[in-house]
Amino acid sequence: MAEIDWKEARRYLGLHRPGGTVDEQLEESLRSCGAELDATARPRAVWRRFSVTVEDGTVTCAGMVIPSAYLARHLKNCGEVYLFAATLGAETDRLLRRSAVTQVSRAVILQACAASLLEAYCDECCDGLAREVAPEGLFLRPRFSPGYGDFPIDFQRPLLEALEASKRIGLTATEAMMLTPTKSVTAVVGLSSTPWCPPTGCAACGKTDCAFRKG
Amino acid sequence: MNIREELARRVLIFDGGMGTMLQAAGLPAGYEPELWNLERPDAVRAVHAQYLTAGADIVTTNTFGANAVKLAGHPVEEIVTAAVTLAREAVAEHGKGFVALDLGPTGRLLRPMGDLPFEEAVAAYAPAVRAGAAAGADLVLIETMSDLYEAKAAVLAAKENCGLPIFVSVVLDQTGRMLTGGDLSSAVALLEGLGVDAIGLNCGLGPQQMATLFPELLRLTSLPVLIQPNAGLPECVDGCTHFRVGPEEFAAAMAELVRSGLRVTGGCCGTTPEHIRALSAACRDLPALPVAPKHRTWVSSYARTVVFGGKPVLIGERINPTGKPRLKEALRSGDMDYVLRLAIEQQEKGAQVLDVNVGLPEVDEPALLPRTVEELQAVTDLPLQIDTNHPEAMAAAMRCYNGRPLVNSVSGKAESMAAVFPLLKRYGGTAIALTLDENGIPATAGERVAIAQKIIDTAASYGIPKEGLIFDPLALTISADQSAAAVTLETVDRITRELGCRTSLGVSNVSFGLPRREAVNSAFFLLALEHGLSAAILNPNSAPMTDALRAYCALKGLDPNCQDYIAAMAGETAPAPAVPAAGMDLGTAVERGLKESAVAAAKAGLDGGNAPMELIDDGLIPALDRVGAAFETGKLYLPQLLMSAEAAKAVFELLRGAMTREGERPAAKAKVVLSTVKGDVHDIGKNIVKVLLENYGYQVVDLGKDVSPQAVTEAVVREHAAFCGLSALMTTTVGAMEETIALLRQEAPWCKVMVGGAVLTEDYARRMGADFYGKDAMSDVRYADGVTEAG
Repeated sequence: MAEIDWKEARRYLGLHRPGGTVDEQLEESLRSCGAELDATARPRAVWRRFSVTVEDGTVTCAGMVIPSAYLARHLKNCGEVYLFAATLGAETDRLLRRSAVTQVSRAVILQACAASLLEAYCDECCDGLAREVAPEGLFLRPRFSPGYGDFPIDFQRPLLEALEASKRIGLTATEAMMLTPTKSVTAVVGLSSTPWCPPTGCAACGKTDCAFRKG
Repeated sequence: MNIREELARRVLIFDGGMGTMLQAAGLPAGYEPELWNLERPDAVRAVHAQYLTAGADIVTTNTFGANAVKLAGHPVEEIVTAAVTLAREAVAEHGKGFVALDLGPTGRLLRPMGDLPFEEAVAAYAPAVRAGAAAGADLVLIETMSDLYEAKAAVLAAKENCGLPIFVSVVLDQTGRMLTGGDLSSAVALLEGLGVDAIGLNCGLGPQQMATLFPELLRLTSLPVLIQPNAGLPECVDGCTHFRVGPEEFAAAMAELVRSGLRVTGGCCGTTPEHIRALSAACRDLPALPVAPKHRTWVSSYARTVVFGGKPVLIGERINPTGKPRLKEALRSGDMDYVLRLAIEQQEKGAQVLDVNVGLPEVDEPALLPRTVEELQAVTDLPLQIDTNHPEAMAAAMRCYNGRPLVNSVSGKAESMAAVFPLLKRYGGTAIALTLDENGIPATAGERVAIAQKIIDTAASYGIPKEGLIFDPLALTISADQSAAAVTLETVDRITRELGCRTSLGVSNVSFGLPRREAVNSAFFLLALEHGLSAAILNPNSAPMTDALRAYCALKGLDPNCQDYIAAMAGETAPAPAVPAAGMDLGTAVERGLKESAVAAAKAGLDGGNAPMELIDDGLIPALDRVGAAFETGKLYLPQLLMSAEAAKAVFELLRGAMTREGERPAAKAKVVLSTVKGDVHDIGKNIVKVLLENYGYQVVDLGKDVSPQAVTEAVVREHAAFCGLSALMTTTVGAMEETIALLRQEAPWCKVMVGGAVLTEDYARRMGADFYGKDAMSDVRYADGVTEAG
């Protein structure tokens, strides 16, 4: 069972920045929010393996033709991909909404905890997949999500449909292609015979004035 | 013979999977199977024929996704007509069989958790239902539902657009829960209330897992049960999904369930004509066991049921503006968060059902009541009691309610029954029935029981059983009539014993006009419980009442090991997490974000003769300034800033009460309209900004999330707001922000627009035409203050 990565959760809250003091009251809030989220979240994931063609800034898989140079670069030399989706579930959204009404300080902490728990859960799932494909001599690329770089967010819907994500894990997209429940991830994960790590995370993101940018 | 008659006399067998059969016939992955009704009719008809030959009684049309949301852009009615026609042709060819119009999920999540409005979901199914019924379907099968709310939308669409029998099946996981949090009992309570013909489970699980959930379903429901499992749990091999349970194993498992009472069976993903052949052979000649009615009086939310008749039920009364000026103000100004906090607080205090009354002369109740119900259901899973005299408001709230509501109230007046009973029949629900009629409240128990009997008889004529009613025998004050309590108690007793019905009371009326009312109330409450009272509507913050209830349950053996009693009392005696530090001054308490200490200090200040404005000017404001500066220089972190803001807010609430009494009010600063833009469902940033702006004295009108440019602009114009704050998280919703700003410039040129959100930059904000880019919440406050001071 994935756990909140507290280092990440604290970073989302800005607690890594020098200058302030994390006093006992804040520590207690972090603890109790973490416990409340652990008791509430029901992480679920679904994935399927598809063959993929990558050429000229276009990626073709599972009936989708995705015009994205970033994704194409990310999937270079991959013959297959996992389409992947994960969510912390509707209960987590309700918890966030409830805390936003009663105590917004807790809502902020819960948001950070939930984001970190979701990442940790996705990592755990992908680690499992990596172990599964290792005997075939294959390696997993990092997750790459619709809306990231030039990967059009409109692919949220066909990606969810290819995974039957609504039926299997209760994950849907709104009209504007936002995921609901909100604490959710969809991604394409490349499978290749060479371990190669393309730029990802902050290095691949265009928002250079982001408060959370690493490096 | 029609399907209802067949259902009443024998076990019925559905067909198996459609998708895999079509894929075997060449349907490409990712292509909508429903389009094949028009493009490859022979292939679809052939699947139906195979299942009929295998022994299926009912074939399911190839219309799983044929609703206006999922198949947007395609001719849904034409597709459905073709699909039903194909199934009918196969049945005619075979010589017998029934056709079920299949309705699956829309693939979108309904509000408030998603963005699809309930009525749009109903409207998405309606054309398919009309077309399917016209083309000759025998029944409607609503299946693979993982959200009860969506199931309700589909059932309403079916009920309102055809007269066919309705079967509904939902998807559960191995723990017996739905993906959206519902469980079996909440599913049964809601769907039985809506008057469907059979309920059950399909997809998600294999026969073995469904068999473990089946006894509970059988125990709960008064309807025939339907089970259509997958051929086992899915296994992924070489990128393909496989189901491992073979026809014989599948059929044997289902036959076992039929022997314990299953009435309708069939297969879902991975099942083939071979499965159905085996199933038919194993189950066809088994006797259909009778369906036992359960006579349960209950209500539900999307995730929780409350049964009346066991442990007494506590109904929280606080969401009712009568005599509550702060709630009246909140309802008038649209401060929904205040209403939501009342709900959460009552739940924490042990309420099991929440009364919801928003009736005020100056509000649009038919609009406000359903909206309040929807907002409440986003933060609490308690069942709600819809409390209104307004039939239109009652209908609207019952319609959009996600669950089986308690409805307050109906009476023995003909007009009242004629208004409420059709709604109960249509939307489900349990009604509080007052034992009064056109002649008022009778003086004797016998006459009140007679009214109750009249209500039961009238309800029956609408097809509503007596367990759909909970009687309120009405408590009148003993200060006016010494026999009032005795009459009420006798009525409780007789309705319970003679009519076999459940009762509820508004206990506190009994003491009206007397001193120390709670002493009388709690004694009367205990007497009523001892006479059989099943529920009471009261204030969960009233310790004498809740103590009396907990003690009663412990004494009557309704609280195993007295654990609820002990837990509740332990909460009373254990030290609160943040003990108000003795003597801490107001400013320090706010700075350190200690809410209880801050409120204690403010109370001490008021008791010591300080005027509220003095405490604000000398204590609160300087503390908030120090906190704001500390945040801006990095000495305080965001959660700490917000804890201080919350402490300050609690003190403001306290002082505001004190100022109302003294007739003085601080001059409010400008109005600010806040919202996340159309399409955006992430509102944490907006919520942070709201708390801080309120702290600094701004009147915030919070429009919530996913708000259209028109709605934002209307609110700004209506409120003549000086500021508008817009939040957007994703690049995709920035367009909606730009559009909103453009409309504001046109319609509300005076308004200063502040924007913020993860993807925005200062430069981008300027290009969109915003007046200000807020990099964090404090910067918004500083900007608004700056503009205000510049005048």
